Amino acid sequence: MAGTTPRGRAERRSPGELESEILATLWATERPLTPAEIQSELGDGLAYNTVHTILRRLHDKNLVVRDADGRRGAYRPVKNAAEMTAEAMHRALDRGPDPIAALQQFVTGLSPEEESALRELLAGGGA
Amino acid sequence: MRIDVYTPLLLSLLLGAVGPRLARFGTPAAAARALTGAAVLTAGASLWALGLLAATLAGEAPSLVAHARAGGRALPEPVPDAVAVLALCLLAVAVGRIVGAVRTHRATRRTLRRLCEGHPPGTELVVAASPRPRAFAVPGDPGRILVTSAMLAALRPAERRVLLAHERAHLTHRHAFHVHAVTLAAAGNPLLVPVRDAVAYLVERWADEQAAGAVGDRRTTARALARAALVAHGADCVLHFADRAVTRRVAALHTTPPRRLRPVAAAILALGALAALGAADATGDLLSLLTGGTL
Repeated sequence: MAGTTPRGRAERRSPGELESEILATLWATERPLTPAEIQSELGDGLAYNTVHTILRRLHDKNLVVRDADGRRGAYRPVKNAAEMTAEAMHRALDRGPDPIAALQQFVTGLSPEEESALRELLAGGGA
Repeated sequence: MRIDVYTPLLLSLLLGAVGPRLARFGTPAAAARALTGAAVLTAGASLWALGLLAATLAGEAPSLVAHARAGGRALPEPVPDAVAVLALCLLAVAVGRIVGAVRTHRATRRTLRRLCEGHPPGTELVVAASPRPRAFAVPGDPGRILVTSAMLAALRPAERRVLLAHERAHLTHRHAFHVHAVTLAAAGNPLLVPVRDAVAYLVERWADEQAAGAVGDRRTTARALARAALVAHGADCVLHFADRAVTRRVAALHTTPPRRLRPVAAAILALGALAALGAADATGDLLSLLTGGTL
């Protein structure tokens, strides 16, 4: 049930979930990252070996390239499929009516008052 | 028959008005499930009731009238013809709307399948190298999470984990199925449109609560929502409709987690069950009318 999940479950993540998280981390930045950099970015006591294993798995699936941009041991995501997906998404969005609008989007639109309220929230937290 | 056949229609009016309000109490998971169940039952019952009302036109059929006269019985006229014809028209409109909703659903699924082409089948996350900040769950077996690189770049590491956990919750709890079911119900009975909108909001709240549980931090979850909404708002004019959904979700995450309230879910479901009972009873009445029994 929602809201009843105990705290601390954050530490127990399946390999599939970690794959998504590490891939997301690599996509979030322009520059290639080493396993150590990924480890420190993700924090929360993830073992170096785990990061390494997951990266190898992503590499086997051809989702990341190693020694990217001449940086030994650094990884960056493979772009081809992601660019094809982006093109297909843009086509779908621009064709209208938005076929994705009916889906469970992470967020929806904001009014000007909501926008300033959310900005205040993010500024106020000190993070 | 006179009363029962209208029960599902009255109850769908009531469910549309009261259901979304009741759903504010209790957990979003229980409320979404109860509302979906009640909406599907009520929509089915009200379509059936329209069918029964329309079927009374068959009572005018010459063969039935002759049969009744031969049996020496006066044929009762429980439903005015005008009402029966109106019911027939409404039924036709409802069927048309349902067919339209099914077509839209299929088109969306086709588009989504195309988006995931070229990505290895065993991966959960599908990234789109796009400057438009977007994130959504792609239902399927197994479902996948589609996020654009712009959305990933805008979030902090803990917030990215919230995003992934949120979309994952949509997939594991089959939210797309709930939303599709309630969309069809609202297509069949427009009085249930408020219920559909409530369920669409509640599955987001449900996924927020799951994400907050997974990362163990409600504040971070709220910040992830706020940041994602701001970046999507700033970069993308497609999401211009403002239903206050995000601020309501953020506010809910700043309070304590909701508690289960069984009576609320039970009350919502009872409305749906009552509608179904009314339709079933009216069916019995119509059958006995057509076969020459007494009302």
